[in-house]
Amino acid sequence: MDEDREKMSDGFDSGLDNKANGATVRPAGSCVQVIESLFAGIFSARLDKSAPRIRLAAWVFLGVYGIIAGKLLDFALRPDPPASVKRAAADAIAAARPDLLDRNGELLATDIKVMSVFAEPRRIIDKDEAVELLTAVLPDVDAHELRERLGSRKGFVWVKRAVTPKQQQEVYHLGLPGVGFLPENKRVYPNGPVAAHVLGFANLDGIGISGLEKYIDGQGLADLHGAGFSLTPENLTPVTTSLDLKATYAVRDELARGIAKFKAKAGAAAILDVNSGEVVAMASLPDYDPNSPADALDPNHINRLSVGVYEMGSTFKAISIAMALDLGKITLHSRIDARDSLRYGHFTIHDFHATHRVLSVPEVFTYSSNIGAARMALMVGVEGHKAFLGKMGQLSRLRTELPESAEPLVPKNWGELNTMTIAFGQGLSVAPLQAIMAVGALANGGLLVTPTFLKRGEEDAKKDAPRAVKAETSEAMRYLMRLNAEIGTAKIADIKGYFVGGKTGTADKIVHGHYSKDKVLTTFMAVLPADKPKYLFLTLLDEPQGLPETAGYRTAAWNAGPVTGKIIERTGPLLGIPPRIDLPTQPFPLLAKLGYAEANVPAHSGRAH
Amino acid sequence: MMRLLNTLAIAALIGSAIYAYTIKYETIFHAETIVKLQHEIKLEQDQIGTLRAEWAHLTRPERIQALADKFLDLQPVALNQIVRAEVLPGKAPRVDAIGRKLEALGLAEPTNTPGDANALDAAVSSTPPR
Repeated sequence: MDEDREKMSDGFDSGLDNKANGATVRPAGSCVQVIESLFAGIFSARLDKSAPRIRLAAWVFLGVYGIIAGKLLDFALRPDPPASVKRAAADAIAAARPDLLDRNGELLATDIKVMSVFAEPRRIIDKDEAVELLTAVLPDVDAHELRERLGSRKGFVWVKRAVTPKQQQEVYHLGLPGVGFLPENKRVYPNGPVAAHVLGFANLDGIGISGLEKYIDGQGLADLHGAGFSLTPENLTPVTTSLDLKATYAVRDELARGIAKFKAKAGAAAILDVNSGEVVAMASLPDYDPNSPADALDPNHINRLSVGVYEMGSTFKAISIAMALDLGKITLHSRIDARDSLRYGHFTIHDFHATHRVLSVPEVFTYSSNIGAARMALMVGVEGHKAFLGKMGQLSRLRTELPESAEPLVPKNWGELNTMTIAFGQGLSVAPLQAIMAVGALANGGLLVTPTFLKRGEEDAKKDAPRAVKAETSEAMRYLMRLNAEIGTAKIADIKGYFVGGKTGTADKIVHGHYSKDKVLTTFMAVLPADKPKYLFLTLLDEPQGLPETAGYRTAAWNAGPVTGKIIERTGPLLGIPPRIDLPTQPFPLLAKLGYAEANVPAHSGRAH
Repeated sequence: MMRLLNTLAIAALIGSAIYAYTIKYETIFHAETIVKLQHEIKLEQDQIGTLRAEWAHLTRPERIQALADKFLDLQPVALNQIVRAEVLPGKAPRVDAIGRKLEALGLAEPTNTPGDANALDAAVSSTPPR
């Protein structure tokens, strides 16, 4: 043993000697010797030679820790590759949205779970083969685009959203590595195009794009999603809309028939609860199916009730007469001179149903006299007229829950001529929804209730509704509308058993800056029942044609009127107003008290014209 | 004595360790069951949602109307289908239909109890010949 140790120390010593000698002898350029001597130094057991060893160890450790620190810095600076597909997908998959219900709890829009196919490009071995197989199973995926997406350096790409269970099975059986499925929420609208304009739609990522869907996002849903709360349909309260699904369908169906019958370009119809301001039913044709949202972008598919602005024609006369009555310029017994056409500068205002005599106020309404309405507006004056229309909400944009709305087209320089034409519905373009809000206020007792598309109680609606006209004026307007349905232009919509009041409106359309002779926009508004108003019906037809059975006439009384009549007939029982056998004997008690006893006597056909 | 205590202590240690592990594994098992059940509940809820959507789609007014037009003979409610209560025909006089039928069949006569022979004879003799 001792011998062994001797040898070992000898060996070391000899090495050391070499080094020591090397320093003195130094054969020129001998690297080998230097390295040899270095090793000898490191592995030497002699204490006096340990300093370089310790230094080396220190350098090695410093290097190792330096590498670790550098790597850490590198990790911190480089964007983190997604730790797992699940996490990467959490941002990508469609967020849950609350159900939309109609006023009776019927489903209008809901989320269903569907499977979406995704891919992790980094894990796909043969990308071309994957593209080939996937496009074979999913024929509507564009092969070129998919190849591009798979070629990207992303960790997660969608192949196709919302596949059918059958397609899912087929993709599964392809057995491609790096291709998987994720459950997603898909928005579905079981009723298709019914109420499409109110509901709007949500895109594939669950973000509301239009209509109430967008409104809901604005109410904080989007913020919640943005803050990373994963919301499930179970913890979202359904949103109850004001619509009645069955009535909405009936309105759309009758409107579609009306448009087909009168060969109109487009049309819209709505039912407004005049007391609560709820829009119970509405349709605007042509429309789109929110399940295929691409159609919604067609400009012909706009919501004609809130986005379109139109000159409403004679329905505006109701507002003019109410204004003159409310401001005390006329009474129901006043007489208006309509013997001659009204001249103003180069312009002459004619009557469509010219009578060439002095008319009573009810006659101005039932004959739909332009001259009469213009004279009444002149009595009020330009400023008074403007103020009244402003109070009725006709001069500013109407804001409802629907994000889509349009500013009314108000004349820039509003002179006497403007007042005269606006009095009978020309020269001021408003959204039809705006117009029915005003006529609703004339019918419901005088409160201007803002229309809503969400369910609302009558008290809530009337709490902060400004008063537009006096209760007596409102009753007088109901009487005039009822009279018009009994003997005037609205006769055709006087459905037996319903105490209907109505007003027609036919506006010549402006084509290239001139009023067209053969293109008209017809509207019809009906209030039901006229004694205790509950619903206001609006029908609007764009460019209806005269038919042989309408004797070639294309005015509202011949097209929008009967369509409204059909709608009343069909939706009355649905909305809880069955036809009555006994019509009210004292429908207008306030008028009777004011000395207009004739208002409560049904007009006979003898007075008809 | 010390040895016994040591043995007991070791036994208690092993026993408690086994117990603790049993509980731990049971907990894991239950937690897994909960997760599984929650997954199943989610699946059921999703299916309920899908079925609700399907039901709404199948009962949409458009389809119901098409089916009603095809298979039912219904009309919209109109005034001519409604009458006042007074117009309804008055109630008919009460008629004992069963009694009349019995009379017509000649069964209206008093019946005899089998034990009373005289009464039977009387009944037989009083029956009119037919």
